[in-house]
Amino acid sequence: MDSDDIPEIPARPDERDGPRVGVDEWVANVEDRREERAGIAGLARRVDDVVPSWARLAAFGAVAASLPLWMDRGDLFAYGIFTLIYVLLGLGLNVVVGYAGLLDLGYVALFGFGAYFYALLSSEHYGIHWPSWVTFPVVVLSTALLGLVLGVPSRRLLGDYLAIVTLFFGQAFVVFVNAANPTVRGQGLTGGPNGIADIDANDLFGYELTTRRQQYWFILGVVLLVLTGLHFLSESRTGRAWRALREDPLAAEAMSIPVNRLKLMAFAFGAGIAGLTGCMFAAVLTAVTSGNFALPILITIYAVVILGGIGSLTGVVIGAIVINVSFQFLAPENPQDNARILFYAVVVLLLVIGIRPWWRLGAVLAGVLALGVVAHTVAEAVSPSWTAGAVVEGGRLSGVVSDWVIIPAGHDRFAPAAYIGLIVAILALTRIRGWWRTGLLIPTVYLSAIVWETSFVEQPAVARWILFGALLVFLMTVRPQGLLGTPRVEIV
Amino acid sequence: MGLPLAFNVELFTQLLVNGITLGSLYALIALGYSLVYGILKLLNFAHGDVYMIGAFAGYAALSLLGGPLSPNIALAPLIILMFLAAMIASGLLGVVIERFAYRPLRDAPRIAPLISALGVSFFLQNSALLLFGAQFRSYDSFVLGSKNPEFFEPGPLTDPLFVVKNVNIQLIQVIVLSTTVGLMVALTLLVAKTQLGKAMRATSYDREAAAMMGIDTDRVIASTFFIGSLLAGAAGVMFGLLFSQVFHFMGFLAGLKGFTAAVVGGIGSIPGAMLGGLLVGLAEAFAGGYLGGRWSDLTVFGILILVLLVRPSGLLGTPAIKKV
Amino acid sequence: MAEKQPLFELREVTKSFGGLRVTDGLSLHVEAGEIASLIGPNGAGKTTVFNLVTGLYRPDSGQILFEGRSVVGLAPHKITQLGIARTFQTLRLFLNMTVKENVMAAAYGHTSSTVFEAIFRLPRARREEREIAALAEEKLAFFGQRLAGYRHDQQAYNLSYANRRRLEIARAMATNPKLLLLDEPAAGMNPAETHELTELIGRLRTDGGYTVLVIEHDMHVVEGISDRVIALDHGVKIAEGTFEQVATNDRVIEAYLGLQRSA
Repeated sequence: MDSDDIPEIPARPDERDGPRVGVDEWVANVEDRREERAGIAGLARRVDDVVPSWARLAAFGAVAASLPLWMDRGDLFAYGIFTLIYVLLGLGLNVVVGYAGLLDLGYVALFGFGAYFYALLSSEHYGIHWPSWVTFPVVVLSTALLGLVLGVPSRRLLGDYLAIVTLFFGQAFVVFVNAANPTVRGQGLTGGPNGIADIDANDLFGYELTTRRQQYWFILGVVLLVLTGLHFLSESRTGRAWRALREDPLAAEAMSIPVNRLKLMAFAFGAGIAGLTGCMFAAVLTAVTSGNFALPILITIYAVVILGGIGSLTGVVIGAIVINVSFQFLAPENPQDNARILFYAVVVLLLVIGIRPWWRLGAVLAGVLALGVVAHTVAEAVSPSWTAGAVVEGGRLSGVVSDWVIIPAGHDRFAPAAYIGLIVAILALTRIRGWWRTGLLIPTVYLSAIVWETSFVEQPAVARWILFGALLVFLMTVRPQGLLGTPRVEIV
Repeated sequence: MGLPLAFNVELFTQLLVNGITLGSLYALIALGYSLVYGILKLLNFAHGDVYMIGAFAGYAALSLLGGPLSPNIALAPLIILMFLAAMIASGLLGVVIERFAYRPLRDAPRIAPLISALGVSFFLQNSALLLFGAQFRSYDSFVLGSKNPEFFEPGPLTDPLFVVKNVNIQLIQVIVLSTTVGLMVALTLLVAKTQLGKAMRATSYDREAAAMMGIDTDRVIASTFFIGSLLAGAAGVMFGLLFSQVFHFMGFLAGLKGFTAAVVGGIGSIPGAMLGGLLVGLAEAFAGGYLGGRWSDLTVFGILILVLLVRPSGLLGTPAIKKV
Repeated sequence: MAEKQPLFELREVTKSFGGLRVTDGLSLHVEAGEIASLIGPNGAGKTTVFNLVTGLYRPDSGQILFEGRSVVGLAPHKITQLGIARTFQTLRLFLNMTVKENVMAAAYGHTSSTVFEAIFRLPRARREEREIAALAEEKLAFFGQRLAGYRHDQQAYNLSYANRRRLEIARAMATNPKLLLLDEPAAGMNPAETHELTELIGRLRTDGGYTVLVIEHDMHVVEGISDRVIALDHGVKIAEGTFEQVATNDRVIEAYLGLQRSA
């Protein structure tokens, strides 16, 4: 592989630099290993290998615990608490998908069940106000039971079917909570589209956790405990059996491993964690609606697990941090300026990581800047309305951007055309090699800036979902093992 | 719950008609799932969203030709063009999706193309949201083709073509049903009689062996996606004509039900998809009519679970035997 | 004198797939402590016998007895826990796990620490982990230098073909079975490796104390290891006895080579 070239997306999986059956990888891959050790990703991998797990846990715990000391309440809620929630959900899903290899697309419904059940037991809805030391075990155990029930079909269904059944279950939950909303004891059980509000805070044996800081530290404690427990579980005979089951269920069964029982255990475990997270989530938000537990959230949890690397605990933590932080940056409440800076920073970062020799990187960046200036000038000369569109929500970059990016005044037709053009360009990039690719990269980057300014910035919530979807496809086709996972060998 | 005390023939017939019409849509979507699963053993999650894009493509064609309230051409060519636009757009989209999101994952572990499909589905849904906005777009099929659309005078589409047991059967329903039957007949002939059909069948039995026999499996797979997506696009336009509203989220639920239809009938089986579609459509209509609208979706889900637990290979599918 | 009960036996076992009858009223048995070979042309039903015994298939009719009790209808993992372990004709290792982990995983059936004990690292769980690790080392050591030392932490997919076959045997041994079913253990091996394997199978009995039933095509191996040879063809037993008896049996020769043309 030409190391000067932009890393190629392999046309066929067998061209990919992955592990090969029967080849002593250690010997054969000396050169590749040296190259992989270089660079930022390599550094991350080296750290992951060398630092022992307890040290990593301690470091993470220490850094995370310090967050409330310098973050304000709003940020702590969005960036701190929500990240931890996603860490937990990712860990739970990781047990089902990563350890046991079962594709559960209804996981978010278990989370929802836990949250709603907690809400029913600790809110004004029915006037029941059980203390947390009662509700937590009750909710966790019932959610685990529900997960068990959900897993029962898995004994007869192959992977794809299980995915669909669980997806249906997830959808059925939303429909049930929203529309069915059966009347129990005089009112709708689940509150319909409005959900349940006025939920009690979690309490630590009577001590109520009402401030963001208290809630944050409590959730952090739970996260650390779950991480520890899962680590030990993974190293135990059960963890090994799960991995064997994931590799080859038939051979595992022949080797004395009760495959069906272990699948159910995985479902139950993952569900229990989801239920636990639901309790804390409901309390922190003080209200739950079906929108909190719909498909987009499921996709987010999957993105967390896959980005970090299926099966890797550290990976889930990192995945959650990356996903949630960028997610919050693109939240509608945030000033668009932050999002804009993030966008351009990410684009530049990707180019820096992706294009190896410095001079080529420089050429591309220069080319993009030049193209923008030229295009803008030409467009303005042709017709002022072509560049008269306003840059959404000014800020530091707005001056530069408005002189550089073509934003027409009324861009109802222009924006979709630019968007589709961008997609075509990106797809074309994957098919072309060599200099043509570098050349095409320049207008593609410029197009992406146009799309950002005309479409994404105006609808950041939608933009982040689009990016998630694209991220999943990208990860699967290019790096299915995620950031910290190891490439797997599969005899198909 | 509203269970009728006496058996109401009118209601029953109306629900029957609705069910058959709805079933046609689901059958077309189910065919796409079945074709792709048969040939690649892949569940194409994004299929429902291809259907949605088809509906929007039909709408775009409608707008380009003047819009529902002031069309530039007569009704018949208008509808034909809408169908063509939707089918071609969906077909091409299906081919592109296969090429970029599934083909690199041909030999990857089973979970990879499923996740990739999820990603594509999500991407498509939200792209539609981004480009077309959250407001529902309407085909306004009520006034389509009428002489005075500005006055909201009804067009011919919703006119009763004939009446059965006091129930109106509208022109549009007849169009939907006959188009569906026509497409299915065409598909059956294609698979049974043409070279491509034979190649598709061969590839679905054993892809490697087919390749070794000189069949360009990549092209066959691409054609399969094209055909399946084309059918979904047609279904999308039908939905728009029947119910007027098209919106970015319509693919999700329709996709799930189309998938249910495919599974119930036996995934990989073409007649199974047709049968399954009919059953699901009828189930939804009757459940909606007799139990109340909010239970119709859950009934369909329930049927899926039932079938999967009792007879996973579906009604017309063949149970798979594994060789160790 | 009471007749010694065979370790395991099939009685009139019939199994069909669709229209294809794979075994037809098949009866055979294996005595404790012996090494027996199962031979026959391809399609004779040999691997099917393994699959029936280990519970992967259910016989249409007939009995399968292990130590006198029926194992028909038991889940495969239960049968393994009773004392029957196998290797696979097509090699089914846990490729993405290390060599040692592959072997340790198979010890699940005879260990019992619970999830709860694992999470809280209770003493019993820790002790069992050490025992399992020691067991794995012991089983791997059976193969001498082949699977020793640094190999323990290598991913299974890195191993050479012969080593992967050996690993499968080690993994089966880790279930602490009484009966080992080896499905074509010498397939794809060169003469030197085959010779080593022949010695190994002998040692499985003497050092390991296992009863062994081997499916093999390589007659050198069969000759070298077998106390008794059972020949199958089209799902039916056609000969049984010592190697010499079976090798010279007319029906066996006909099955492998076809009918002799009379001069």
